[in-house]
Order: sequence, then C-alpha cells, then structure tokens
Amino acid sequence: MSPRLLALWLKESIALLRDRHGLLALFIMPTIFILVMTMALRDAFSPGVSIDAAYVVVDLDHSQHSRALIKRLDKSVSFKRLPAADDAENARQGILDGHHVLALVLPKGFGERLLAPAGADGQPTEALQLLLDPALSPALQLAFRNQVMAALGAVRADELTRSAGKLFGLPIAPGADTEREWPDEIHSVAVRNDRSVRPPSSVQQNVPAWLIFAMFFVVIPVSSIFIIERQQGTLQRLRAMGLPFHLILAGKLLPFFIVNQLQAVLMVLVGIYLVPLFGSEALELPGSLPLLLNLWAVAAAVSLAAVSLALLVASLARTSEQATVIGGVGNILMGAIGGIMVPKFIMPAAMQKLATLSPMAWGLEGFHIVMLRHGSFADILPCLAQLLVFAAAALAAAVWLNHRSLAAQS
Amino acid sequence: MLHIEGVSYRYRDATSPALTDLTLNIPAGGVYGLLGPNGAGKTTLISLLAGLLKTPTGKISLHDQPLADARAANPRAIALVPQDYAFYPMLTVAENLRFFGGALGLSSADLKAQTDAAITFARLEQVTAKRAEQLSGGLRRRLNLAIGLLGQPQLLLLDEPTVGVDPQSRHFLLDAIAALPEAGTTVIYTSHYMEEVEAICQRIAIIDQGKLLAEGALTDILHSPEPQLELQLDQALPEDIAKRYAASPLGHLQYRLSLTSTAALSKLLDELAAANCTVRHLNLGQHDLEQFFMRLTKRSLRD
Repeated sequence: MSPRLLALWLKESIALLRDRHGLLALFIMPTIFILVMTMALRDAFSPGVSIDAAYVVVDLDHSQHSRALIKRLDKSVSFKRLPAADDAENARQGILDGHHVLALVLPKGFGERLLAPAGADGQPTEALQLLLDPALSPALQLAFRNQVMAALGAVRADELTRSAGKLFGLPIAPGADTEREWPDEIHSVAVRNDRSVRPPSSVQQNVPAWLIFAMFFVVIPVSSIFIIERQQGTLQRLRAMGLPFHLILAGKLLPFFIVNQLQAVLMVLVGIYLVPLFGSEALELPGSLPLLLNLWAVAAAVSLAAVSLALLVASLARTSEQATVIGGVGNILMGAIGGIMVPKFIMPAAMQKLATLSPMAWGLEGFHIVMLRHGSFADILPCLAQLLVFAAAALAAAVWLNHRSLAAQS
Repeated sequence: MLHIEGVSYRYRDATSPALTDLTLNIPAGGVYGLLGPNGAGKTTLISLLAGLLKTPTGKISLHDQPLADARAANPRAIALVPQDYAFYPMLTVAENLRFFGGALGLSSADLKAQTDAAITFARLEQVTAKRAEQLSGGLRRRLNLAIGLLGQPQLLLLDEPTVGVDPQSRHFLLDAIAALPEAGTTVIYTSHYMEEVEAICQRIAIIDQGKLLAEGALTDILHSPEPQLELQLDQALPEDIAKRYAASPLGHLQYRLSLTSTAALSKLLDELAAANCTVRHLNLGQHDLEQFFMRLTKRSLRD
C-alpha cells in the first residue's frame, strides 16, 4: 500500500468526519426521506388496501335491491362507508363539511327498475347520483365509480338468475335468495423469476431510491474539501511535492466509496427496522448470497458513478457556492427525471424515456431487478455497465479539466 | 547549487513574457532574497523551481543536474512554502504535519522523527492538538513553514512567509529562517518587506518585468563608492546647489546628492543656510535596500 495514498485516504476521512453538514446531508437526509416518502406513498404502492376516502349511501329506495347493493359495496375494502345520510342534501353538506368525499344516492324506484330500465309504470329511469368532493383525485373518483358499477352488475346478475329461475319454473335451491359470491374476474399475477417474492411496495421503491439520491449527494462534501484545497493553495503544494493529480483523485475515491457503502447499510437497516415502527411494512432483502452480492454490485457501481460525478463537479466549480448549485440542482434534476422523487411507472411515456438518461434511474433499475425480480448478475449487467461507463467518463473529464486548468495557468 | 541560465517564460495568451533571459547563480547555504514589485516574475520563477510550471526556454539545474532529473532523483529536494495557508483548516496541527509527511512518502519512522522536529523548530508544541482553523495568524505561518521543512529539503522556496503576522511572530520566523542554512537548507526568500530581506539575506536579486535588474551580495549592492546624502528640505533645492552636487529628486522636496567626501557636508549645510533652506531630514551613508529597490524599479504603481 502506497503511504502517499494511505495519507490521502486518512486525511479525507478525518476531514469528512469533521464536516457535520456534509454528514447530515449524507445520512440524516435520506433517512428522513425514506420514512416520509414510504409513509406518503404506502397506499399508492399497495393496491387493494384501504384508501383513506370515505363515502355515504343515501338509500331513498329502501328496497331489497338497494340493501343488496350496499352489502356488495361493503365487501370492498378500498373505500370506507360511513353511516348513511337521511337525504341527498345532508350528504351534500357532509361533503362540504369534509365529513366524507363521496355520496351515492339511490333514488326511489331503484330496485324496481333494476332489470327494467323504464319501470313498470313506463316512466324514465332516474339515474344513481354520485356526489363528490371536487378535490378528490380523478383516479379515486373513477375507482369508486367502477366499484359501484361492479356492485350494480353483481346485484343485477343475482336478480337475473332469480328471475330466470322463476320464469322457467326451476326449483329454487336453499339459500338462492341470498346474493351469490361471484369469483374475482381478474386475478393479478406479478411476473418475476421467483414467485415467492411479493410485488414492489412503497418501502422497496423508496429505500433504494433515496439511498441512490443520498449517494450522489457526496458531491457536497467532496467539492467542499476540493475547493478549499484549490483556493488555499494546498493542491499546488501537493503538486510541488510531486503528487500526481490522479493520485489525489484516487485519494478521494476510496473514502467516499466507503461512505456510500455505509449509507447503503444504514438505509437498508432503516428500511428493515425503522420503517415498520411508522406503520409501513419492513424492507425484505433477497435471502440468497448471490442476490445479496448482486445488490452490493449495484451499490458499488452507483457509488463509483456518484463519487466520480462529485469529482467532476468539484473540478468544474470555482467556489463552494457554484458546487452546491451545480451539484445540488443536478442531483435534484437527476432524481426528478430518474424515478427517485416520482416513481417512474406513474410517469407519462415520454418522461419514462427521459428517465433512462439519468444515472440514478440506472441504479434504481439495478436495485429493482435484484430486489423485485431476483435478477441474476447477467440481468443487472447493463445497469452496471451504464454506471461504470458514466463513472469512467466523469473521472476522465475531471482529469481533463484539471490539465486544462493547469495549461491555462502556464 | 542552483543555476538558472537564460530562462524565459511566457504564459499562454500573455502579451509580454513573465521572465526574459533570466540568469542567476544561487550558491548553497545562506538565504537568497528574490525581490521585485508585483508582476515582476517572482512567482513565475518560484513556480518553475517548484515544478509547478515547465521550463520552455533556458536551463535550470540543481547541483549540476537538470532540475527535472534532480526532482525525480529526490522529490523532497525542493520544498515550497506558499504565501497562502496551504494546509487543511479542519485538521489539527499534528494531523496536518502527519498528512503532508505521508504525502511526501516518508516512512513511519521518518514521519515521526521529522514531524517532531518540525513541531520543535516552529515551536508548535502547545498547539499540536488544535485545529488549524483555530490558530492565530502567526501560528498559521509557523505551521505553513513547518510543513515545508518536513522532507528536510535542500532548497526551500519561501513566498512572503511573514505576511499578516504580528511583530513577535515575524521576529521568530525571521530568526528561524535565518537559522535554516546551518541545517543544510538553502533558502530562496521573496518578500516585499525590505528590512526583512536586509536582516536575513546574504545575496539578493531584483527583478522587474521579467528581467534581472541587480544581483549579488547584499553588502556589495548596498555599498556606495561615494557617500550618498539624502535631504528633505522645507523648500525646493536652489538650482546652483543642485547642479554642484549632482542632485536628483527622490520625492516632494527630497533629494539625493553626491558628496566627494564627508567633509563636504559642512560646506553644503552652510550653502543651504545661506540660501535660507531648512533641513528637515538628513541621511548620510550607504543607501538602504528600499531606496535602492525604488531607484531600480521606479515609483510607478504596479498591479
């Protein structure tokens, strides 16, 4: 081991340990993001769980069929039904008061017109009325509407079966008057290598996402130390001592690589132990050693890309303020388009294409391949290659910038 | 020891060269003063010697070996103490010294010995555990110097090492620097403080606009073959007296006159009294370095 490199590593480590703001940005910031975003996006990543949206049903019909419809609606766990309102006006006031966000009004004659839209009296059918809070997301409005339509379809099917039996004089089986349990018509199956793995959850999205974001934030401490060195003439002194620039860069690479690995371990522990304390499910890692090694390979490649980019920004920026702006804004942009802040799958197609330009997206894809699809090393290789090529290009650019800067001085 | 021959240097895109055909011989031992106004080319020369710039024209050799070869053979032969506090403010004094010693590639035994020696030399014993950012200006200068001594260099390049320190620290630093040649280190010392150069340098070179204006032993440069008299009067020197004594103006109502002997002084004073001129200030003897420097480099302001 070169004593010069060892001295550089030691110096960088001590300097980093004494940079409280840098450490806060590297360790506390992602922990908070993981906790907040995992809780905030928990329901968006777990279809079928209760949605925090309540509704009331105003039953003006009080028929067997209206009660059957309400019973059907109650079987869905997605929306929470509150005790019924007396009339449509009360339901409307309840929405204005923020008591509930939806109200379904079943008009008088609803049961009678279930199979005969015109009704026995030949009068036009009065439609079911859905009162809604305009602030409710369009997706939830549509989801509730679909849920009502599905329940209505099931009630109609029950009634049709009963009517057909009567019409053809078929014997009525015991319990046939009660509504039938129709099987779910759509059964979702996640496509992955190992079928024992559960679909992605909020914690599986947010832990790797914010870990990657935090890894790229080494730009702040790296550039801060580097700019102090340049401004105070320390780099010049090191050059006068015969230290080549690439050795100085190598002296920064390992300490921050280790910091990134510590971030990875800490964020995984946050996902496993801290996140459940806040009501979300715990992070589950694949159990086999090869998959864990694949995870580490992704973390290592992300780290090399992050530290190399940080060195490039540090070489590019003349002042700490410039480095903070270039590095900070650059990271936020990469995170925004790379599926860190907004999950990629909810982006429009054009944005999803744009996301493929972000190194953060390459890292996140690599983590998801291993965590969600239990991908092999060959599966993550394209992501690793992208990250490593990016790291090499950023390092080469940093060295070139340094040579250019020296040439300009000479 | 150090031989600089016909060295010229022009920065990229510069309109004029930073150094022009500069030739200097710097003997081993002693403190060599390198003087010049801002933009004279001192920093360029220091940068060339420190290996921060490559020599495009001319030759620089150390102990009769081309500078690049000498540096390659012994990377610690030349050390630079920049004008800036070129160390890590967040590291302690001891950590800074250990780091720079390690960066020089010192073995652990040498590192310990040389770190201790540097601490003792710069009298930093009381502050080894203190972070550099908490040190006073004087202590920072001492740390800056101590780092430069870590590799036991043969040639130490000191760029304005006393800027911004109190008189006590300045005296300490000057004494310490003056003692370095006894330990086998030749010092090239740049400063704008002429009294410092007069106090510790045995030889000097004055450069301006990249050209050598004067070089030699300080005593020779300051020696004047005929007594020089500097006068400050309450009114302009009468023309006839000025002509007789080959007077040249130094500033407002200030003149330099040449006397054939010190005995001529009483005659001059009589003539001035007769002309109703009152002498406000009088200096007879060798010119000091500042006067010599100003005479060579003129009084126009520099960037």
